[in-house]
Amino acid sequence: MVAAAPTRRKAGCTAAYIALLPMALTVIGAYVCTMLWTARVSVSSARIFPTGDFVGLGQYERLFRNARWLLSLENLAIYGAIFVIACLVLGFLLAVFIDQKVVGEGALRTVFLYPYAMSFVATGLVWQWILNPELGIQRVVRQLGFTDFTFDWIVHQDKALYTIVLATVWQASGLVMALLLSGLRGVDEELWKAARIDGIPVWRVYTSIVLPMLWPSLSTAFVLLFVMVVKLFDAVVAMTQGGPGTATEVPAKFIMDYLFGRANIGLASAASIVLLATVLAIVAPLYYARLKAQARGHA
Amino acid sequence: MKRDVMREIDLPPVRRRPRSRITPARIGVYAFLVTAALFFLVPLYVMLVTSVKPMDEIRLGNIFALPLSPTLAPWHSAWQAACTGLECEGIRGGFWNSVWITVPSMVLSIVIGAVNGYALSFWRPRGANLLFAVLMMGAFVPGQVMLYPLVRALAAVELYSSLPGIVLVHVIFGMPMMTLLFRNYYAALPEELFKAARIDGGGFWRIFFELMLPMSTPVIVVAAIMQVTNIWNDFLLGLVFAGSDHLPMTVQLNNIINTTTGERLYNVNMAATILTSLVPLALYFLSGRWFVRGIASGAVKG
Amino acid sequence: MNQATQAAGGTAAAVLMLAMALASGPSRAATPPPAEPLKATVSHWWTSGGESAAIRQFADAFNAAGGKWIDQAVAGADQSRASTINRIVGGNAPVAAQFNTSRQFRDIVDQGLLNNIDDVAARGNWNAILPQTIIDVIRIDGHYYAAPVDIHMPAWFFYSKKAFAKAGIKEEPKTWEAFLATLDRLKAAGVIPLAFGGQVWQEKIVFDAVFAQVGGPDLYLKVYRDRDLNAIRSPAFRNVLVNFRKLRGYIDPGSPGRNWNDATALVVSNRAGVQIMGDWAKGEFSAAGQVAGREFGCFPGFGPKAPYMVAGDAFVFPKTAKPNVVKAQKLLATVLTAPGPQAAFSARKGSIPIRPDVDTSQLDLCARMGIAIMQDRARQLPNPEMLLEPDLNGALQDVLTNFWNRNQSPEQAQQAFAQAIQDNTW
Repeated sequence: MVAAAPTRRKAGCTAAYIALLPMALTVIGAYVCTMLWTARVSVSSARIFPTGDFVGLGQYERLFRNARWLLSLENLAIYGAIFVIACLVLGFLLAVFIDQKVVGEGALRTVFLYPYAMSFVATGLVWQWILNPELGIQRVVRQLGFTDFTFDWIVHQDKALYTIVLATVWQASGLVMALLLSGLRGVDEELWKAARIDGIPVWRVYTSIVLPMLWPSLSTAFVLLFVMVVKLFDAVVAMTQGGPGTATEVPAKFIMDYLFGRANIGLASAASIVLLATVLAIVAPLYYARLKAQARGHA
Repeated sequence: MKRDVMREIDLPPVRRRPRSRITPARIGVYAFLVTAALFFLVPLYVMLVTSVKPMDEIRLGNIFALPLSPTLAPWHSAWQAACTGLECEGIRGGFWNSVWITVPSMVLSIVIGAVNGYALSFWRPRGANLLFAVLMMGAFVPGQVMLYPLVRALAAVELYSSLPGIVLVHVIFGMPMMTLLFRNYYAALPEELFKAARIDGGGFWRIFFELMLPMSTPVIVVAAIMQVTNIWNDFLLGLVFAGSDHLPMTVQLNNIINTTTGERLYNVNMAATILTSLVPLALYFLSGRWFVRGIASGAVKG
Repeated sequence: MNQATQAAGGTAAAVLMLAMALASGPSRAATPPPAEPLKATVSHWWTSGGESAAIRQFADAFNAAGGKWIDQAVAGADQSRASTINRIVGGNAPVAAQFNTSRQFRDIVDQGLLNNIDDVAARGNWNAILPQTIIDVIRIDGHYYAAPVDIHMPAWFFYSKKAFAKAGIKEEPKTWEAFLATLDRLKAAGVIPLAFGGQVWQEKIVFDAVFAQVGGPDLYLKVYRDRDLNAIRSPAFRNVLVNFRKLRGYIDPGSPGRNWNDATALVVSNRAGVQIMGDWAKGEFSAAGQVAGREFGCFPGFGPKAPYMVAGDAFVFPKTAKPNVVKAQKLLATVLTAPGPQAAFSARKGSIPIRPDVDTSQLDLCARMGIAIMQDRARQLPNPEMLLEPDLNGALQDVLTNFWNRNQSPEQAQQAFAQAIQDNTW
């Protein structure tokens, strides 16, 4: 039995390598090659089409002299922090409350998920209307009699970003809820029963037992949200077009603008590389720490 | 006493009818859910109301007001009469194209994601984790940046502007999140299951198909929700890679909504958006039967 | 077969062929043999109802001339152009693709990826009949690379007659100062003076309108065409910026982010007085059933010598050697610039035709005004996109939007403007 195990493991390992072949091909062929190509273009003076020339770090210098780019990075940091936390909290609460055997769970689940189904081009415009002081909430509340009520974040330079947070949390919380719900539903029924038998209060069960068990779903949700933050584009274009002025500029929009409208793929590539490097700088330490913890756990 | 409890748990999971106790906790639950639902529904209300108003009323700018003279003409127009260029046939033309693109892409990307996640979390071959790390980095690359090299690559293998080409592109772009989803899900399953199956003589594929896949229903549902939504609503990749014979519905939708210097009929735009989103919405509503409790636990005891 | 049978067979065949030739001879003279229509896949971004009706004129004319128009519209000008470029790269280029008459396709020409249409231009005598501003953009190194299809003016002043009446304004303002006074009176009457959409490109349009009218064409060309830093730092340019900033006092608080259609809706519903927008705005007025000269008025500037900005759309022809495609391209270029289709298109598009020898009876009041102005060559002013690369145009938009939305001084804006021009390497 013991002698047979290694060969079986080897056979399994070969099958695993073969099974992972599509992933390997995709990573190397699509992602790595693209990143290398992008890096190459970022040190050239390409406009619409790649040129073969080499301009050193000129595009990067131009990038960091660009106030709009620097502002977009700053906006991303602020937006990212608030968005991820808000989505995780709201998604968790929604999942937990929906899990309480409520009437009409199917309908409620669809209500919370439908924003994710809709194209943000139209829903973004609706949010712009709702948040516009002349058309939306401020106008309605004032008509109800509260003439001093103001809710015009979207027209202010320093507050417009929070409106984007509002609309995108509306869109993404449902998905987080679905993720966490599938995780919650994987929690043993036995656990609930045992906890009830032992007399532990429900909220304690959640914080001490369920939350740790939800860790994989939470970490998936966190990565998903982080990816959404870095790729944030549709919402900004539909709601504020990066405005007022450049107040809600984000890196993905900057890259898109220079890639297509402004016909400067050299600068856009440099911006992409910087964005990727920033993400790597944030993610790599976390990943390394997690690997270390896993290694300790297996040892 | 404990034995009785255990036997009760051995029964297959059954959806219990909600017990009708009206406690403060229960009221709190419903209050929270209803308030949240109202917040979520406000934009839908504006969209529906706008979609049945004539343009004259929309120009007045009372977005929350009910229509004075409601009309279903925008819905009819959105489906089959709105102009999308020279033709004025609404969004219905691209419906089947969207289906032909979405179904294979979704199935293929979920299968590959599941196999990847399974291999990464149980078998852990050498170098796989590094590969996975690079794959996750790829998830952060904005799709538009990858357009030019992908176009060149696909054109070189004659897959550019074709149905297999767009399916391949969707699989590539979906792989990071699908792999992550399944890997984390399998990592949460007890390792004893896997070890027991190995001892029983299972090989790589046998364990996958007979043990892991049947237990993956909740994550498959979430994966399907994500992929169907992303692929069905995708516009740029479909426009660039699908070729003019297979353009998805989102291209017509974009043509209706996104006119640059043409007049905008907001009622038609809203109707078209809601119509386009009905497919993912139907999936959400129907997926309920798979969000049941205790699928994994049943296998452990059994 | 023996020789006799062969001879008989050959004779019979010859007689048969002669008979067929005689039978088809007269009919060949009467009707041309049905030829295979020249297929042309055309990529453009005109997808609204009005635009669709306009492009149908071109499609019908092309089909009638022996072509087959295969429409491949993509809404969103940036997206449409990006799709075209990707298709050229992927080897699946359309037969014709829309760009603006601007420097957008200069790079594509430099890479040698477009066919030229010199013979169509020669036959159509484009050198003589097209406005110089357009020729300068579509003729590169002596070759014609684009077929212009319309002229749009991005800086018209549209106003609601009811709003003017409410404010007691009897006539259109004839000078910039009179215009500001008009805005004051609109404000006093409780109407939003200037309907404005706070998006970057709309701010640029309004700025360019002020620049052309207040700064004058000479300063305008010195800055945009010659990139003269001294002109940018001059007091005259500062004055333009100051007057641009003045308009901020006449907009409503809900303007940031507003779509241009929503701003036009304010004028249509008489809640606002004036909108500065391109002549495509007439489409929104028509959709609401309003007619130029009846419910709304239009004027292109102040004074009899006011500059008239020229912008427009043109179709380019991606490079190919396939003879049928090249034929289709030439046929398309001919049809797009012929007088009949030009008149029909402009009547529905709200633009003015590219050539003066066209029946203008179907055009509306504002378009006829524009055509009359275009006769005076001195008043034609190229729009910034004809003079600036897209990259630099965008950078200047950023400078102006910061000036408009933040409390910057005109000097700071001048400095940033000059800096943007200097930064525009490659």
